[in-house]
Amino acid sequence: MSVRVVNLEFAYPKFSLHVGGLTFEKSKVTAIVGPNGAGKTTFLKCVGAVLPIPKGSLFIEGRDLASLRSRERARLICYVPQEHDTTFNYTVSDFVLMGRAAFVSPFALPSREDTEAAAAALDFVGLAGYADRSISELSSGERRLVLIARALAQQSDILLMDEPTTFLDPKHEAEIFQLIRKLADERAKTILVTLHSLEMAVQHSDQMVFMKRGEVVAHGKSAEVFEDSLLERVYDMKMKIIEWEGRKIVLR
Amino acid sequence: MSGLTNSRSRGLAVFLLVLPLVLFLLSLSIGTYGIPPRGLLKTVLSVVSPASQPDVPAAYRDILLRIRLPRVLLAMAVGAALSVSGASLQALFKNPLVNEYILGISSGAAFGAALSLVFLGRAFPPQIAGFVFAVAAVGAVLLISGQAESHFITLLLTGIIVTAFFSALLSLVEFFASPYVLQALFFWLMGSLSLASWKDLYISLPLIAAGLFVLYLLRWRLNVLSMSEEEARSLGVNVRREKILVIGAATLITAAATAIVGIIGWLGFIVPHLVRMMFGADNRRVVPLSAALGASLMLVADDIIRGASAFEIPIGILTSLVGIPVFLILLKKTRKVWL
Repeated sequence: MSVRVVNLEFAYPKFSLHVGGLTFEKSKVTAIVGPNGAGKTTFLKCVGAVLPIPKGSLFIEGRDLASLRSRERARLICYVPQEHDTTFNYTVSDFVLMGRAAFVSPFALPSREDTEAAAAALDFVGLAGYADRSISELSSGERRLVLIARALAQQSDILLMDEPTTFLDPKHEAEIFQLIRKLADERAKTILVTLHSLEMAVQHSDQMVFMKRGEVVAHGKSAEVFEDSLLERVYDMKMKIIEWEGRKIVLR
Repeated sequence: MSGLTNSRSRGLAVFLLVLPLVLFLLSLSIGTYGIPPRGLLKTVLSVVSPASQPDVPAAYRDILLRIRLPRVLLAMAVGAALSVSGASLQALFKNPLVNEYILGISSGAAFGAALSLVFLGRAFPPQIAGFVFAVAAVGAVLLISGQAESHFITLLLTGIIVTAFFSALLSLVEFFASPYVLQALFFWLMGSLSLASWKDLYISLPLIAAGLFVLYLLRWRLNVLSMSEEEARSLGVNVRREKILVIGAATLITAAATAIVGIIGWLGFIVPHLVRMMFGADNRRVVPLSAALGASLMLVADDIIRGASAFEIPIGILTSLVGIPVFLILLKKTRKVWL
């Protein structure tokens, strides 16, 4: 499914976001990068309608996101938070099952079908054996995977991931990126991901969006848009891109 | 799952669900005037067909039907109501320390019911004013503390302020009450089942049953609502609407209970904790098992009060005296593990 941003505006007391025209296509991974406070997460939350957005600013396959009911929206688009901080210590299977909320009436229990969908999602991220463990027993990397599994159980075609690899070691980071690629390629998901690591962003994304102070500075195919001058402009510091074995590395 | 294995936990769950029924029968025979099990059975039969049991003492029937049965039913309903209300509110506010008292519901309901008793008399059901002011109190707490998900400290402080305000209003009502009403009010405020009558039950029981039923249906949804508001919204929940529904139902059952038995502290706090420690956090289990355990503990507390002494200590005092040390032990022993 494609997401079209027409003219998105959102304001906090001391920060405002304005994004003009952008389109995100299916089977493509878009990395959203920029300095702290650029509005990456706010943008992601707006696209996921987690934050209230005005009508006529976001369209999924031509349908205005702001006019959809919560349940309909959740079946199309899913926001995956950076970390999950719950007071209650649910088991992994109970947690992933919550991804089915959009398919279950508020007054009902999840059906066998829901349970199976949740189990399949857990299996997809490689944590099938973790179903009965409790969330607090998991490592940070495993918790990220469980968050992704919950998003998969939701079966929405558009996934918005907020810094899914922050604080992860290189191995777990690579695993998450493999998973993201697999979701785009095998499940034709439209994926938006905010990232801090520029190298990871350019290596694993098809498209990049550079943000600064609540606005989009540049966007385009990752291989084309990723240049020294743009990085310097976005981050206000000297940066140089070098290539090593076909990969781009940023010196600073 | 928590520390218990699957089969052990299932066995324990069945035990907890059956426990209130066993205690119900036991409680009917306990009291200053003991009725043996055989007498109990005969009395029940004599109600069903009076001709078959001509030798049942009239006192049995009177005590059982007019005094003990309403009281035991009320104890069960109140125990279940406060426990389920606590469990639901804790899930909704994502904090195991939240309860109906902190949110101002108890003090609002107490003020409303007292106001009704003093100025409208006992003939007018106190549940109505109790519910109205409970809603006013919880509404005030939520409005003043900004939004419902704001920091727990803000919520706690606002709750303390609103509770203090309604306590002051309650004192004002007491000031205007006649000495006779004041005495009844005094006992009732400490939390007492001794005033239970069928008339109170006819109003409160259906209200409690309705509220419990709604929260029971919402039990899985409470899991989803216990996620952060942004997560819940992303999962497809109309957070605002469902929050109002849960708070409304919890307020209704708390007010319906408080209006006839006064403030019974700590039950709604401790019961869900105990259940989570034994069965994990899944509200599909926490809600029904809290109802069962709450009803059972209330029955046991009332049995102790009725059986142990010639004069009756208000049950609210007993639950607090037992509840607070239990809570402290739990807190020390488990730290954050059961959360």
